[in-house]
Amino acid sequence: MNLSVENLSKVFINDGNVHTVLSGVNFTVQEGQFVTLLGPSGCGKTTLLTIIAGFQSATEGSVLLNGQQVSTPGPDRGFVFQNYALFPWMTVRENILYPMKRRKMPRQQREQRLQELLTMAQLEGKEGLYPQQLSGGMKQRTAFIRALAGSPEVLLMDEPLGAVDFQMRQILQEELESIWLKDQTTVLMVTHDVDEAIYLSDRVIVMSAQQGNILEDLAIKLHRPRNRNGEKYIKYKVHLMNLLKKALHKEPEAPGKELELCLA
Amino acid sequence: MEPVENKARIYNSRNSRLMRETFMGSMGYKKLFYRAITIASFLAVWQLAANYYNSEFMMPSPWTTMVTFAAILHDPEVIANLLLTLKRVLTGFCYALLIGIPLGFLMGYSKIAMQLFDPLIDSLRQVPIMAWVPLTIVWFGLGDGPTVFLIAFAGVFPIIMNTIAGVQNISKDYYHAARSMGAKPWSVFAHVIVPASLPDILIGSRVAIGLGWMSVI
Repeated sequence: MNLSVENLSKVFINDGNVHTVLSGVNFTVQEGQFVTLLGPSGCGKTTLLTIIAGFQSATEGSVLLNGQQVSTPGPDRGFVFQNYALFPWMTVRENILYPMKRRKMPRQQREQRLQELLTMAQLEGKEGLYPQQLSGGMKQRTAFIRALAGSPEVLLMDEPLGAVDFQMRQILQEELESIWLKDQTTVLMVTHDVDEAIYLSDRVIVMSAQQGNILEDLAIKLHRPRNRNGEKYIKYKVHLMNLLKKALHKEPEAPGKELELCLA
Repeated sequence: MEPVENKARIYNSRNSRLMRETFMGSMGYKKLFYRAITIASFLAVWQLAANYYNSEFMMPSPWTTMVTFAAILHDPEVIANLLLTLKRVLTGFCYALLIGIPLGFLMGYSKIAMQLFDPLIDSLRQVPIMAWVPLTIVWFGLGDGPTVFLIAFAGVFPIIMNTIAGVQNISKDYYHAARSMGAKPWSVFAHVIVPASLPDILIGSRVAIGLGWMSVI
């Protein structure tokens, strides 16, 4: 699996006003990585993610999955929505089976995968419930395994924990990590939460508020599960916080150098 | 042009109240008690009015009405006519569903279909139902034809409007989710559009059948 974004631009025109959201964005995601797009609100990171998903088109440039250009939604790119978008007229079981049926997986295999996923997400016994009968955390886990059910090449997640409070968020991050460690699907996640990015990612791509420029592409070299109070963890955090502050205003100078100082 | 959503919402807001009323029956003794009060006061006012006029012709008492009603129910001719009316309403309603739902789906989903059909539907639905009576007799002759047509005609608009609203209110995320899970257009229709708009279609159908009973005469 190899996902690459090449020279991607997105321009909106409203009443004759040209608004450049993304301009010349380039990056590549390799197999098995958990990559986060981190940026201040309004930096175009969600736009970028939905272009990769094929929900909207790029003005210029292209998205390549294994060398093939993609421009419409497809089961090779799973998507987890901020509000989960579970089908309220289907039970947990039907929601999770949906992508497998669309991929014409044989019945026996489907049932087996369903059980695997339910176990992975600790949702055994909940398969007969409707989404509105689930707690926030269960909804989130259902959305996550539903997106994994069709075995996508890459999983795209748009602030999957954006709708929950701080403490719940940390618990869900840990749950998400444990499911991900079992599944190992490549993930590209969008967030504005520095802590979430460091806790979950192998790599953090920091975007600026100006046309989605990539300010830094940072590898997080920490063992999992990560200790949120560890010295290195906090150094990453301070560094990214500072970078984000600058991302809102002006381009920082030589961000790489600063990291060296920070981690020294 | 007035957006169609707004018009549909007018139907909706009026009918969500009707919808709630139906559920009352299954909502406990308290509701039943209030309902009994309503009926009792209505009968009391009726009885008072009957006493005041003291004339079977101008204002028969509730009791006389009940007795007559019970007697009529034993008359086979009345039953036959009742069944005929029921048949007409249901036939008309079926036509309204058959035309209204597909058209509503089409107009709710496609902007082009909306532009094509909206002017036509918008002008047709302004015509008072009674104005169609002479024409329908010319078209269909005497008998079931005109009645069924008028019932279908009265019912088709709330069905179209509510179906449109139902389809238009579906979150884009559901379409995106379905497609990113590999759904082809047919699956998007059968597994997303239909179930998501079903509650609104049912509301439209309730109004349609109500209007059908009103236009049967």
